[in-house]
Amino acid sequence: MLNKLKQDAFKKIEEAKTLKEMEAFYRQYLGRKGELSRFLRSLGDFPEKERKEKGKLANQIKEELSKLIEKKKKEFQTSGFKVQSEDKLDITAPGLKLPQGHLHPMTLVQRKVEEIFQGMGFLVADGPEIETEYYNFNALNIPQNHPARDLWDTFWLKDAPLLLRTHTSPVQVRYMEKHSPALRIIVPGRCFRHEATDTTHEAVFHQVEGLMVDKDVSVGNFKAVIEGFLKQFFGPDTKMRLRPSYFPFVEPGFEIDIKRKQGDWLELMGAGMVHPNVFKSVGYKANRWQGFAFGFGLERLTMIKYGIDNIRLFFDNDLRFLKQF
Amino acid sequence: MADLLTLRSFEIESVEKKGKDWILDIDILPNRAHDCASHRGVGREIAAILNYKMKSVDYKLKYIKEKITDFLKIRVTDNILCSRYTARMLINVKVASSPSWIVERLEVCGLRSINNVVDICNYVMLETGQPLHAFDFDKLGGNKVKNIIVRKAEKEEKITSLDDQKFDLDEDILLIADDEKPLCIAGIKGGQGPEVDKSTKKIVLEAANFDYLTIRRTSKKLKLVTDASWRFEREPDADLTKEAIDMAASLIQQVTGAGILSGLIDVYSKTDKDKKIALNPNYAKNLLGIEIKDKEIKHILENLGFKSSHRGDILEVVIPSWRKDINIQEDLIEEIGRLYGLEKIPGRMPLVALISPQKNDYLIYRDKTKDILLGLGFCEAYNRSLVSEREVSLGRKKSIELANPISQEQKYLRTYLMPSLVSNLIENKKRVGDIRMFELGRVFEKIQKDKKQTTKEQKSLAGIISLENTEKQTPFYELKGGLDLLFNKLGITDCWYDDAISVKSSIPGFYQPAKRAEIKTGEDVVGWLGEINKEILDNYKIYTEAAGFELDFEKLVRLASEEKVYIALSKYPSVVRDISILVGKDIKVAQVLNIINRAGGKLVQDVDLFDMYKDEENFEGRKSLAFHVVYQSKNRTLTDKEVNKLHSQVIKALEKEGWEVRKQ
Repeated sequence: MLNKLKQDAFKKIEEAKTLKEMEAFYRQYLGRKGELSRFLRSLGDFPEKERKEKGKLANQIKEELSKLIEKKKKEFQTSGFKVQSEDKLDITAPGLKLPQGHLHPMTLVQRKVEEIFQGMGFLVADGPEIETEYYNFNALNIPQNHPARDLWDTFWLKDAPLLLRTHTSPVQVRYMEKHSPALRIIVPGRCFRHEATDTTHEAVFHQVEGLMVDKDVSVGNFKAVIEGFLKQFFGPDTKMRLRPSYFPFVEPGFEIDIKRKQGDWLELMGAGMVHPNVFKSVGYKANRWQGFAFGFGLERLTMIKYGIDNIRLFFDNDLRFLKQF
Repeated sequence: MADLLTLRSFEIESVEKKGKDWILDIDILPNRAHDCASHRGVGREIAAILNYKMKSVDYKLKYIKEKITDFLKIRVTDNILCSRYTARMLINVKVASSPSWIVERLEVCGLRSINNVVDICNYVMLETGQPLHAFDFDKLGGNKVKNIIVRKAEKEEKITSLDDQKFDLDEDILLIADDEKPLCIAGIKGGQGPEVDKSTKKIVLEAANFDYLTIRRTSKKLKLVTDASWRFEREPDADLTKEAIDMAASLIQQVTGAGILSGLIDVYSKTDKDKKIALNPNYAKNLLGIEIKDKEIKHILENLGFKSSHRGDILEVVIPSWRKDINIQEDLIEEIGRLYGLEKIPGRMPLVALISPQKNDYLIYRDKTKDILLGLGFCEAYNRSLVSEREVSLGRKKSIELANPISQEQKYLRTYLMPSLVSNLIENKKRVGDIRMFELGRVFEKIQKDKKQTTKEQKSLAGIISLENTEKQTPFYELKGGLDLLFNKLGITDCWYDDAISVKSSIPGFYQPAKRAEIKTGEDVVGWLGEINKEILDNYKIYTEAAGFELDFEKLVRLASEEKVYIALSKYPSVVRDISILVGKDIKVAQVLNIINRAGGKLVQDVDLFDMYKDEENFEGRKSLAFHVVYQSKNRTLTDKEVNKLHSQVIKALEKEGWEVRKQ
């Protein structure tokens, strides 16, 4: 009988999963009315011969069970095994929503562009958004009444002979006037064109222009620098091509295209070798310096990078859009 | 071929098949429209690229006995405005519909078929780039010998065009006229009257060259752009007229069987001489960055029709009159580069000095500021610089107006960033709960400088917050905390908040008058902070509180510093005592802090307001402020007795002000 008791007890203790069950087990076997306790009290009913043996065994079992109960109790406590459904934590519930900030995607792209060019030793320059006709056109070899001016539809101020710059090129002129070569700068900035707006055109937009002037700067140098930029910005497998184009402030002039995943070419930026008339405007000695200049739209670059299809999203400032970046 | 043209000359926008032929849509560069806005021009480019020779055409004109000079006289009154006028005459013309090959080609190029004579004129224009015009000789004014005069219009003269539009002319406009009246607006549009129709038997063909600026001005003035005016504006070569007129005459003869009068009237003061440009081959190689033999340079130039000869180290190149875009040697270098193949130019990194560019303070603080605001949970907005009149009327700055805005909504340059941020708030409120947004951008105003009116632009930083739940924190105080953090991180230590509600205050009107502050260093205003005017928000049915700030960012950058000075930590423990007081509603926290700091002296290391609330019922119109006062010495542990003494000093000072210090 004792052996059966022992077997049952040890089986039951293994099955106990909660403190409550442990307590129930204790009551069942070791409590005042517990089986083992009752048995020990009932030892007197046994013949003297058996009393000693049975007593010893019963006490042994009692000790073992007590030890086990203690051990299990400790386990439950330390492993937090107080498993009752109110105490459990739902770890799948969302964490506290802390306010999360986001920078505008064009800031992210502009930072990357600045970082890449600064890494190549280009200085970031800045200039006014309200400009004079001289700096925006004449100094850049775009004289008055020239059909080339049709390429840029201009906003004019009402009470002053000033305009809103149509490109960031005037800053290049201002910078060259104040600094002698060799130099290399980029000019990110906001520009304005009096144009009809649609999904890819805005009257207010952003550009990044670049300029490098030194003694022997060549088209080959330009290719290497711009390829370096494109590969760092879009990835090492980026393919680009140069083809002829025309801007009044450069000669030769080019357009740079990059190859899209779909295999077609996408126009990205205009560029060229700085026109001698521009060097003349800024007062550089003739035939002494060579340089390249380039310019691209920041919206365009951002749209390509993130696959955004509507330029108006940049000014809508819809938080659902901004929070994606 | 399309790819080759794209790489060497012009971008091909599309290639489409049509029957047995192809249609190429070519984006001619603006500086090549004068010689390439025609099939022949593009053909010449292709010949140059592929090393082919252009064939010259012999038009095989069959003349009749009669001489043109017996019927027609041309008089050009101004040979600068009209540098060449070429005319031919044909008789026994059968005006009818054109053969299908002409109609089809015209259609592909976007031109409607009218009749065989007009169509042939257009066809020749498309092929050569030279616009042509045809008159019905019998409809011209005059007797047997008729006069065509090229002259300026007279004041008050008028003309009605072929398509029934009436134009008032002036003395700047060039006309083709007969003895009696104007016949056409020269180079732009024909007038009603002498046009070629089914009854026409004799025609006069005109191929002329007009001054591009005059055409441009007239076209703009009359708001009239035609295929002819477009081409003349782009300065086609004067040499084209003879070739074009011969081609037209030959085709008309071929198609209608007409007879061509012998002789050609050509009023031409040849001003276009061939240009000579000195090209330095070494400079060319250097600028392009290629190794190319002089022989190859000469070959490329020859393919373009430019002959060259050596003069010592220099190559003297002769530029034909039909290339008006080649004026300096860099223009030649472009030709060489593109026909050599831009893709063949090897990319080579420039050799430069290994110096980092000087980093700009402004950039450092710009990036730092944006990152701090990002960390505080703000989203960055970009707003347009052009705004409506309503937005600029909300402040005190004089705004700058545009002469030619694209709409009334974008007529002024913005004077503050805040109004746009309020709009952003209003838009986004429809969809989300808490909103935190900022913008760093330029604002503009008109100012007086040295007694003159001038424009001023400066960079401004602004932010706006709106919270759904204002139990724990209101937008105003969250912004204030944020700004304090920003100033701290930028190393600005002496900003304070002044609630200057004086009339002279520079704060613009979109803040609640009693809930706003000027942010200053010393007496210099750096910006302001305030609750957004409830009226503005109510208009858009927004009933939650919102607060905003706007700072002069350039001032901020000047004040900022990266220098940090380490202050040794005290080895000795601090003791914190709490004080809770009741003060009148109008008493400011700053006043209380001042009293505490003054009374406690150097040993007050910090005073921290941790609770502030109003209870109308129990406090009789006062508010309760609770502070932790932290006492600490740098060189010894303060005893309880010392601290108690200090603390009772502080309490006495507060009570002296008439404030009730609440028993703990």
